[in-house]
Amino acid sequence: MRIVVGMKWVPGTQSVRIDPKTGTLIREGVPSIVNPHDLPAVELALRLRDKYGGEVIALSMSPPPAIKGLEYLIGMGVDRAILLTDRVYAGADTLATSYALANAIRKIDAEIGKVDLAVFGQETTDSSTAHIPAQTASWLNWPYVYYVRDAWLTEDGKLRVERILENAIEEWELDMPAIISIAMKSIKPRPVSLLNKIRFKTNPSTLITWTNSYMNLDVRCVGLKGSPTFVAKTVDVPEVPRKKIVYKPKDGEDAARWILKSLLSDEKASRALLKALRGSSGGEGS
Amino acid sequence: MSQKPQGDCGDICPEWGCRNKDEYRGVWVVGEVDENGLSEASLQMLTPARKVASKLGTKITGVLIGHNVKGLADQFMEYGADDVIVVDDERFKEYVPNVFGEAVVELVKKYKPEMIFIAGTMRGRELAPFIANHLRSGITADCTDFDVDEKTRDVFQIRPPFGAVLLAYIRTPNRRPQLATARPNVFPLPPRDPSRAGKGEIIEEKVEHVPVPKSRLVSRKVVPRTEAPIEKAEIVVGGGKGLGSAEGFKMLEELAKEIGAVVGGSRKAVDLGWIPHERQIGQTGKSIKSVIYMAVGISGAAQHMFGVREAEVVVAINNDPSAPILSQADYGVVADYREVIPNLIKLVREIKDRLAKGEPIDL
Ligand SMILES: Cc1cc2nc3c(=O)[nH]c(=O)nc-3n(C[C@H](O)[C@H](O)[C@H](O)COP(=O)(O)OP(=O)(O)OC[C@H]3O[C@@H](n4cnc5c(N)ncnc54)[C@H](O)[C@@H]3O)c2cc1C
Repeated sequence: MRIVVGMKWVPGTQSVRIDPKTGTLIREGVPSIVNPHDLPAVELALRLRDKYGGEVIALSMSPPPAIKGLEYLIGMGVDRAILLTDRVYAGADTLATSYALANAIRKIDAEIGKVDLAVFGQETTDSSTAHIPAQTASWLNWPYVYYVRDAWLTEDGKLRVERILENAIEEWELDMPAIISIAMKSIKPRPVSLLNKIRFKTNPSTLITWTNSYMNLDVRCVGLKGSPTFVAKTVDVPEVPRKKIVYKPKDGEDAARWILKSLLSDEKASRALLKALRGSSGGEGS
Repeated sequence: MSQKPQGDCGDICPEWGCRNKDEYRGVWVVGEVDENGLSEASLQMLTPARKVASKLGTKITGVLIGHNVKGLADQFMEYGADDVIVVDDERFKEYVPNVFGEAVVELVKKYKPEMIFIAGTMRGRELAPFIANHLRSGITADCTDFDVDEKTRDVFQIRPPFGAVLLAYIRTPNRRPQLATARPNVFPLPPRDPSRAGKGEIIEEKVEHVPVPKSRLVSRKVVPRTEAPIEKAEIVVGGGKGLGSAEGFKMLEELAKEIGAVVGGSRKAVDLGWIPHERQIGQTGKSIKSVIYMAVGISGAAQHMFGVREAEVVVAINNDPSAPILSQADYGVVADYREVIPNLIKLVREIKDRLAKGEPIDL
């Protein structure tokens, strides 16, 4: 089977800093990474390929530095990677992004070979909308489900998946081609292997770039122009008024006593605390 | 009155088709139905829907799609829907994202609402972007507030952007309907008014085009939630990286058990695997509304504090006197939590004993 797996190149969240003057994000010098929630999707795609044969193609619509991320996925074992990049794609909201991705999937289907499955991560760490898989399914009119933790094929060539919702475990069967999005942290991704890296070094053509002169998408349908939503303005989040009383206790007992005293002399807090202390039996554990 | 004459699509993507904004009126809430009836999360969406509908001077229509769902229309009205569109059809017995999505799309094309609210439950997050995209319109996920530009009737969909201590006002200036989701428990359930039942119109609709589903639910096992959701707890104890280990969380659990609290944590604690993602507090986790929030070994990053804005009283335990949380809490203690928490547990047990015996609490 031929599987396309989506990847987004996102700012590394560990190093995000806020400009204290403007309250905006400092992006300069912040190293980017593969969206961590895409890695379980890559892993599942690789497992399906390893089991049933075929190939995995990573697809990312990102600026050129995302090549690093695609190389990482090739290192994990992805067979080839496509970077969809063009200045006209910049500023896209999720509708315009999914439009470009859906068309790239169509192009892969037409020019490389039939695509059976597209796999995405649950959401990204930088915008966490979870829109892209459903929107891509809408453009392609493919069946789709979210929050998948495991997938396999039935004897008659259908895709079976298991997913977990807030209060239910479900099994679904999908005709292919289909789209699935993989629950975050559900599958442990494999590390990059040296062998795959060497393979890539000797055959760099497994990573290709498609610009819009190749994709030939109407410029009114992509990037900022192809985005129905935009950020009209940003405002500071108003500061929450707090008492800001800070206590330096003598020892742990003093600290505990001070906390309870403070809470019990605070009108709102004492009501909730006393209710809890009276309500619960307290018999356990003591 | 109209900014654009009908049929003039302007310089837009040909795949979008024309939309005349002025034809779109009214606010919708799409109901989510499962074996327990109408989900609370979808009823909560009536709260922002009411705010937006009042500002637009329009009404709220609830939408129910399913099999044997007509009986839920009254409940929808009791919580605030003015009318309810009901599609009661055996083909909608099982929820299938593409099939339900296309049904909503067909109804939207007929009734042309200007704004659609969909609860950001797991299913809602799956369904909503499909609907928006099929309508070639915009959608904003995880909104925390809404406002209206009365002149253009554009709804500002407000959410915090990536990592910043800001609120972004997202706008869909040229397309209709506008769509938005909000996470469960971000908005309160509106007060239930039984006298509203049956007051509005129940519009029974048929969906003409029901696609043959290309995906099927094979099995569904309901696993009832055992833990109380953190967003609804009266007292929350949060742990951060400063706890140093998963063991530290055991200590917090012990305290929580004594004071009837639910334990949550910072994103770093989640990333370290000390606590599940469902209990992450903050911008990319849950927003809590507890009366008391006790932050333990948490530095007080803006993204974390975003989730505790509505907590009424914040207590912080941190051994670093310069930790930002101390200037964002009501009561801060500069101490090692390993000294404080065991003493808190001990004292709380003493107080409980006294309360049980009817003795005064003496600290
Ligand atoms: C886009 C984005 C979204 C994010 N969303 C969230 C979110 O939803 N929720 C969230 O929490 N974070 C979020 N973050 C991460 C956030 O920026 C912080 O990194 C995180 O909140 C820090 O977690 P922490 O306070 O546990 O750890 P740290 O910042 O490392 O703080 C640990 C604290 O523990 C204290 N400490 C250490 N030892 C002890 C001890 N023995 N006793 C008492 N105190 C001790 C230290 O003094 C320190 O203040 C997000 C970041 C980004 C970029």
